[in-house]
Amino acid sequence: MQTTRYAEIRTRSTPYRALLVVLLAFVLAGLGAAHYMEVEGHHVTGMTNQIVWGLPHVFAIFLIVAASGALNVASLSSVFGQPAYRPLARFSAILSVALLFGGLSILLLDLGRPDRLIVAMTHYNFKSIFAWNIFLYVGFFVIVGVYLWLTMERRMYRFSKPAGVVALVWRLVLTTGTGSIFGFLVARESYDTAILAPLFVILSFAIGLAVLVLLLQASFTLDGRELDTALLKRLGRLLGIFVAAVFYFVLVFHLTKLYGTQYHGFERFILLDGGVYTGLFWILQIGLGNLLPLALVFAPRLQGSSRALTAACALVVAGGFAQLYVIIIGGQAYPLDIFPGYQVESSFYDGVINAYQPSAWEWLLGLGGLTAAVLAALLIVRVLPILPESLRGEASGS
Amino acid sequence: MAANGIFRISLLFGVWLALTALLLPAAGRADGSGFGAIDIPRPATPANEDKCVAPTEIMRREHMKFLYQQRDRTVIDGERNGRYSLIGCMDCHNPVSPTGEAPGYGDPDHFCSTCHAYASVKIDCFECHADRGYGTWQNNTAASTWNDDTQLTATTLQRRLETAGGD
Amino acid sequence: MATDGENHDASRRGFLKGAAALAGTLVAPGVFLYQSGQASSSLLPGVRWGMLIDNNALSERDVDACVAACKRENGWQAEPGSTTDAQWIRKVTLTDPGTGRRSFVPLMCQHCAHPPCVDVCPTGASFKRADGLVLVNKHTCIGCRYCMMACPYKARSFIHESLSGQLPYVPRGKGTVESCTMCVQRIDRDGANAVPACAEAVNRDGRKPILFGDLNDPDSEISRRLQQLGATRLRADMGLEQAISYEGL
Repeated sequence: MQTTRYAEIRTRSTPYRALLVVLLAFVLAGLGAAHYMEVEGHHVTGMTNQIVWGLPHVFAIFLIVAASGALNVASLSSVFGQPAYRPLARFSAILSVALLFGGLSILLLDLGRPDRLIVAMTHYNFKSIFAWNIFLYVGFFVIVGVYLWLTMERRMYRFSKPAGVVALVWRLVLTTGTGSIFGFLVARESYDTAILAPLFVILSFAIGLAVLVLLLQASFTLDGRELDTALLKRLGRLLGIFVAAVFYFVLVFHLTKLYGTQYHGFERFILLDGGVYTGLFWILQIGLGNLLPLALVFAPRLQGSSRALTAACALVVAGGFAQLYVIIIGGQAYPLDIFPGYQVESSFYDGVINAYQPSAWEWLLGLGGLTAAVLAALLIVRVLPILPESLRGEASGS
Repeated sequence: MAANGIFRISLLFGVWLALTALLLPAAGRADGSGFGAIDIPRPATPANEDKCVAPTEIMRREHMKFLYQQRDRTVIDGERNGRYSLIGCMDCHNPVSPTGEAPGYGDPDHFCSTCHAYASVKIDCFECHADRGYGTWQNNTAASTWNDDTQLTATTLQRRLETAGGD
Repeated sequence: MATDGENHDASRRGFLKGAAALAGTLVAPGVFLYQSGQASSSLLPGVRWGMLIDNNALSERDVDACVAACKRENGWQAEPGSTTDAQWIRKVTLTDPGTGRRSFVPLMCQHCAHPPCVDVCPTGASFKRADGLVLVNKHTCIGCRYCMMACPYKARSFIHESLSGQLPYVPRGKGTVESCTMCVQRIDRDGANAVPACAEAVNRDGRKPILFGDLNDPDSEISRRLQQLGATRLRADMGLEQAISYEGL
């Protein structure tokens, strides 16, 4: 088996530079939007006392969940000993760090008091899953950093497996924690379920891999490097398995809730007459995000096709985004049932479906975090030897 | 050759140090004398000096520490109207006029802003706290109109101040 | 070499002693000043404040009066139809779908014994005070709004804009979360004789549709009435043991 050579990307082409400029522009716009939101207060956003977590949180949780899943490829090589993925281990690690960084930036900048970050990092209520998550996120940076160093330093490579195990366990706990942020909310019938934790874990696998493949293809194309068909086939099949698993968990979630009469109102809202949420669920999440990618990666004629894989990954990303939107915002749109059996009405929007219209500031903040993550990844692969020079024929070794 | 560079840098540093030491006595001082001095703000002392919390020099440096320690006692332990009460600060240092007006904390005439603007330290307290005194801490006659029912009576206040161990 | 080592040790020791002395002198004034300035806590030991709301005795106008009184006491306003204005207490109109009967319930923070909002707060800003009140320590609140997601009664509000003209005993500001405090400023002042603003607005002519008192005191009026007549809690199946109970629901 030949030794993989890693090299920084060297391109100075116009598309690459243009991409960096565009990404930077979005990052700056995002920072500006965050500043405006902090100075003016959240009344300039679409978030209200009814929908308290909005579009920025959808972006943030998408990035955080994708960050955890992006490390999958590294885990497959270090922990499960699959040599085909070994050349991608470094990229997998730095991408997970970059995505987590982007996601956390959005979360922190959206706080009502972002100036109190130090308070958040020094006052912990360990009964709160949110506090645990802060702790896990910070630890994740350290652990992946150590893992990356051990993987890149040839003399230390033999320690990369134990480090990989630690990283794997840590991120499973982390993603379980992220899902439990919602799963532990006993007050809302749209949450309050144990299945949200593993659902987030499996979702992380799918969207993490999708984001990794997209950025891998993008960087290789920009730098003129070759991707191997066999590897593409493997990645495609892996993505297909993950997407199928996501579909299974969503199915179980909704079937279980449909079985209880008390949840019929909520299920009817999501599946039938929730307007934008129903549309996002069926069309974007299930149709385009689950079923179509499965067709694209498993269709015999499209096996090994780079374009089909790109399309499937993009659809999975969009579907994952829609899924999180339905979970996070759809879950808040459905009213609390404080007085069971009664019709309720009040000045505080009890008993009604809550409306939400994301503002431009929220879009800018969310996109700013996303582009910050992508920009960070693209810059890191430029200064460090992360990407393999070529993936030609790598997948054939086993 | 590197040694030559280090020697030059050390020489420059020594010259800079010597110049600073020589010129420092002529530089601006807190009392307004000297070159380029800016008179530091001296906000007005309120009339009821018997209720001073601590000497001015200590208050200038330590008032944030007093507030920082007091705030947890107020919120968590329910301590009210103590020596370091923020309402107490405002009652003496920024009481509302008989017509109910007082400068807000964005106004340079506000007691806290006179120094904070100079020191360029953003005041966070008044994002939430009332930035003026309505007489509720010491029950002076410059009462507010916010809710007469909840005005503390003089007797209750006196008893509280006595048990608080202040004064 | 040995001499150099000894000199080195001696100078190091000297430095450490000097540094410790300096640090001591810097800290000492603070220690001294901290001692002087102890006020007394208003918390009465062993109490648990609660309210008993008799819905049968509350007309729609009464509940509106509660809301208006809370606004006046605590300095908040809510424009009709606003989605971002804070509401510490609200009038909920209940319609029985079978009979069409309408009733009006004042709904505020229920001051649970096992508050979900306290469990989920990452910094511990949302806390339960020793006397049972569930409050937000706005010094530590980072404005993440997770407590708002967790509250089963949607009792919490987030301040979406800069505020001014706050009342002296009710600090509230942009970027933090707040909810009904059971008029903690009155409780700290008057103890068991306190009357929260909502109760004060409707208690007259000898009736007390909203009864405030110490739930841990078996001889208090609220405990005796709960013992005699019983009451229900909202979403009692969640097991939160709220301090607020309702009769007639």
